[in-house]
Amino acid sequence: MAAMKKEVVKAEEGEIFDVELSKDLLKVNQRLAEENKRFLHKSGIRAIDIMGAIGSGKTSLIEKLVQLLKNRYKIAVFKGDLTTTIDAELIARHGVETVAINTGKECHLDANLVKKALRKLNLKNLDLLFIENVGNLICPAEFLLGSDKRVVVVSVTEGPYMVVKHPFIFMEADVVAINKMDLAKAMKVEVKRLKGDVKTINPKALVVATNSRTGEGVDNVAKALGL
Amino acid sequence: MHEFSVTSQIVRGVLDEAEKHRAKKVNEVHLIVGKLTFLGLEQVRFAFEALTKGTIMEGSKLIIDEQEGVVKCNHCGYMGDFKYEDDPLYHVPLPTLKCLQCGSVVNIVAGKECTIKSIRMMV
Repeated sequence: MAAMKKEVVKAEEGEIFDVELSKDLLKVNQRLAEENKRFLHKSGIRAIDIMGAIGSGKTSLIEKLVQLLKNRYKIAVFKGDLTTTIDAELIARHGVETVAINTGKECHLDANLVKKALRKLNLKNLDLLFIENVGNLICPAEFLLGSDKRVVVVSVTEGPYMVVKHPFIFMEADVVAINKMDLAKAMKVEVKRLKGDVKTINPKALVVATNSRTGEGVDNVAKALGL
Repeated sequence: MHEFSVTSQIVRGVLDEAEKHRAKKVNEVHLIVGKLTFLGLEQVRFAFEALTKGTIMEGSKLIIDEQEGVVKCNHCGYMGDFKYEDDPLYHVPLPTLKCLQCGSVVNIVAGKECTIKSIRMMV
């Protein structure tokens, strides 16, 4: 019997061929976010991601939420900012563990940064985590962090068009806080109209009017978050 | 806004794959970019050209297909474009998460991706 000739097919030099990949680069963050979420749930921690434009009142909302809830929950806060720890120190004054996440020049937090920050926490003594995102109404929408709920803070001082101009971040929101409601009259901005815009875009978002300077409405934000 | 960092990832992803096949040259890269990523395609092309210089990807053709945003309704099964509602005050068509067919809340199932679909290379 003749020996079987082993045929080996190799790509000839100069041969062109196609490789099908279907590799979604933006899924990397999603996978990390899911990892974070699983980790947080296993540790019995609920996480809330707070987004909004620069100066909308994210930090003051968190400060008021911390004051309201610190006797009922063991709270920690992640504070995302490009540089400085100014806001983180403001929050830490309320006696909660605060981790400043400095992104350098990146305009949003991502799941990887949150994963790194999670390693700095004393998890045993924790059941609620607030993550304050970098001030930005565009990019954070695309980058999930692994939180249970996402909040968007929009203030009346940003004018009447902010919601209609950024529909996609409001599609991400579970709760929307329309902040600085005490200034609505001076700004000639109707809170009702902003609320209507949010509900048109995202019927399932819960909308609350707040004054995060005085704390008015913050208990409704907590309720809307199921806290 | 993130065109440069995303394109860096694209170039790295292609070079990794090319190395696996011991390719000598990459001729073509086929991307699918979702419209909801708001990536500027001109900037992606510019970054691609800059980042591939001096690599086996230099001079390769970049084909980009745009993927429209697609929503899916778990209530009635509708899959397709967003329902747009006209804002009476600003006359701006607003995309909504309402189902075009039944009005229930929908999920976004496409339009947020940045996928390397295929690579054409020379061994």
